[in-house]
Amino acid sequence: MDIPTVAVYSDADRDARHVREADQAIHIGPSEAVRSYLKIDSILDAVRRSGADAIHPGYGFLAENAAFARACRDAGLTFIGPSPEAIALMGSKTAARGVAIRAGVPVVPGTEQPFDALTPDEDIVRKAGEIGYPIVVKAVAGGGGKGMRVVTDAAELSSAVRTARSEAGAAFGDTSIYLERRLARPRHIEIQLLGDRFGTVIPFVERECSIQRRHQKVVEESPSMAVSPELRRKMADAAAAVARTVQYTNAGTIEFLVDEDGSFYFLEMNTRLQVEHPVTEMVTRLDLVKWQIRIARGERLDVDPERALTPQGHAIECRIYAEDPDQGFMPSPGLIREITPAAGPGIRDDSGVTAGFKVPVFYDSLIAKLVAWGASRDEAIARMSRALVEYKVLGIRTTIPFFLWLMKQPEYRAGQFDTTYLDNLLNERRGTTFSELSGRDEEIVTLAAALDAYLRASGDAAGSITRTAGSQWQQAARREALRG
Amino acid sequence: MTFEIERMTFEIEIDGRPRSVSVERAGPDRYRLTIDGRAHVVNAARVGSFGYSLLLDGETSTSREVHVAPGGAPGEFLVNLDGRVVAVTVNGRRARRGSRDAAGTAAGEQRVVAPMPGRIVKVLVGPGDEVAARQGVVVVEAMKMENELRAQRSGRVREVSVAPGASVEAGRVLVVLE
Repeated sequence: MDIPTVAVYSDADRDARHVREADQAIHIGPSEAVRSYLKIDSILDAVRRSGADAIHPGYGFLAENAAFARACRDAGLTFIGPSPEAIALMGSKTAARGVAIRAGVPVVPGTEQPFDALTPDEDIVRKAGEIGYPIVVKAVAGGGGKGMRVVTDAAELSSAVRTARSEAGAAFGDTSIYLERRLARPRHIEIQLLGDRFGTVIPFVERECSIQRRHQKVVEESPSMAVSPELRRKMADAAAAVARTVQYTNAGTIEFLVDEDGSFYFLEMNTRLQVEHPVTEMVTRLDLVKWQIRIARGERLDVDPERALTPQGHAIECRIYAEDPDQGFMPSPGLIREITPAAGPGIRDDSGVTAGFKVPVFYDSLIAKLVAWGASRDEAIARMSRALVEYKVLGIRTTIPFFLWLMKQPEYRAGQFDTTYLDNLLNERRGTTFSELSGRDEEIVTLAAALDAYLRASGDAAGSITRTAGSQWQQAARREALRG
Repeated sequence: MTFEIERMTFEIEIDGRPRSVSVERAGPDRYRLTIDGRAHVVNAARVGSFGYSLLLDGETSTSREVHVAPGGAPGEFLVNLDGRVVAVTVNGRRARRGSRDAAGTAAGEQRVVAPMPGRIVKVLVGPGDEVAARQGVVVVEAMKMENELRAQRSGRVREVSVAPGASVEAGRVLVVLE
């Protein structure tokens, strides 16, 4: 689109990839997000200094912050996203449920009004009894699994409300909560949509996001094995109805829970681009971010609705985190010594890091999104497995070994899973390593470690043996020539 | 061309199992490695700064790519083989003998340390408790997530040196097991 870009960065991100690739980069403060990426004034100041006229908020940080969208509008900037009014309305989970009900879309049984900090516990317990257990306590301002607790009987409710409130207060600055019935074995399936300023709303083929660990998505795919073309059309119509009810513009996603019998319930709306948007782009061959910019510029949405709803092949995304899957997925920040992304037919690597970058402790530990496309789901899984073997991140732990293991699980391969699948499976494994080695592999690892130690001890780990890279071959040839 | 023939022996430990490996040069790009009395002649070429392309099994030449990158702790390496990553300690026992570093595993003792700066959310064990290998002992909040720190081996809790709510630095000893 030939638009010059401006990056903003904190102290911790001076070496980050987005800084290097932008045309301008502006420092906005210390590493702690509240003093940089979450600080509206600092970002608007960076806009003024750079002369930028539009802001893409990405996902995370201020992407769903109505005050930020409003501040952009007040400053005469184009915010590449929905209106501040739509963000505010759909950002309140209880208000959003109200919108869905007005649009004629079913919602999970639950409370229509939020419980603020002053609501006595007795009222919450009574309401929970009416809805029926098991129940989910959720933050009104919630998202990303934070401020969310599952409760199976009344005795646990008060403590769950307390922890949900404290998490929500810390994460969103709002301790209000609400209750929802917990469906037994639901799938999490969502509909991406785009809306322009002329009232056109286009829903897209669904994304299947049921592979979750502690309510956080780790693998997404499109289409879903559980969605027939008829169900797809019904869910797409429902999503579009919700968006039209709030005159929604730009990119957004309606999340649904889908029961085993194919009935679906509105869960919430994300008023931004989502982490998993690449799978939709891969199966529709449409560029969602480009459309976000075109819509923000006032262009008319002229995507063919049939194309948006008809998946071409199958796409899977694995979120590669700097976490140690063998230690309960504990964050593994630190120096990336070397990184070799996967490539080849059908492979897309959306990564934010390069060699020499120190994954900071301050932010979410997502370092790359690896996406595989195939003509069929089986081909997508095969390509993903191959790409995971090729993808090398050295110096820190990542979730790559976990994904390699997951791609081999029979239930995953058969598409037979719901949102409880992964947590149950991980509990059963009780911390068995994902990097299992055969006796032969263990021998090879041992040989390599000993060889490496030998070469380092001889002081010539990098020099004495031939390098396989082209330039190193040439250097070796020159050395040989000099020795004569 | 001449090669300095020097034989060196290393103790390589994976998952608590040490093996002794001796290494010597056997020609250009060739090394003779002996594990448990069995000799392997390996043809090795470098890949990037940390990797090796290994050709094993002589004539039939099994080809494997392995990367050996320094890990967090001294003497620890993260070895990457076909997408799997294993922690390997080189000469760990020798380095540990007589010394007790922060991650200390002096004889019989095991220390659970904070891997990064964070805040203690929960302490799951008390002094005198028996814990199983890989059982969670402390929950630490870092990078906006709660993380359960686990015991590497089974043992009995000797000391708990933190309380919920405490902020801890990386490397701080949280729980000592024996």
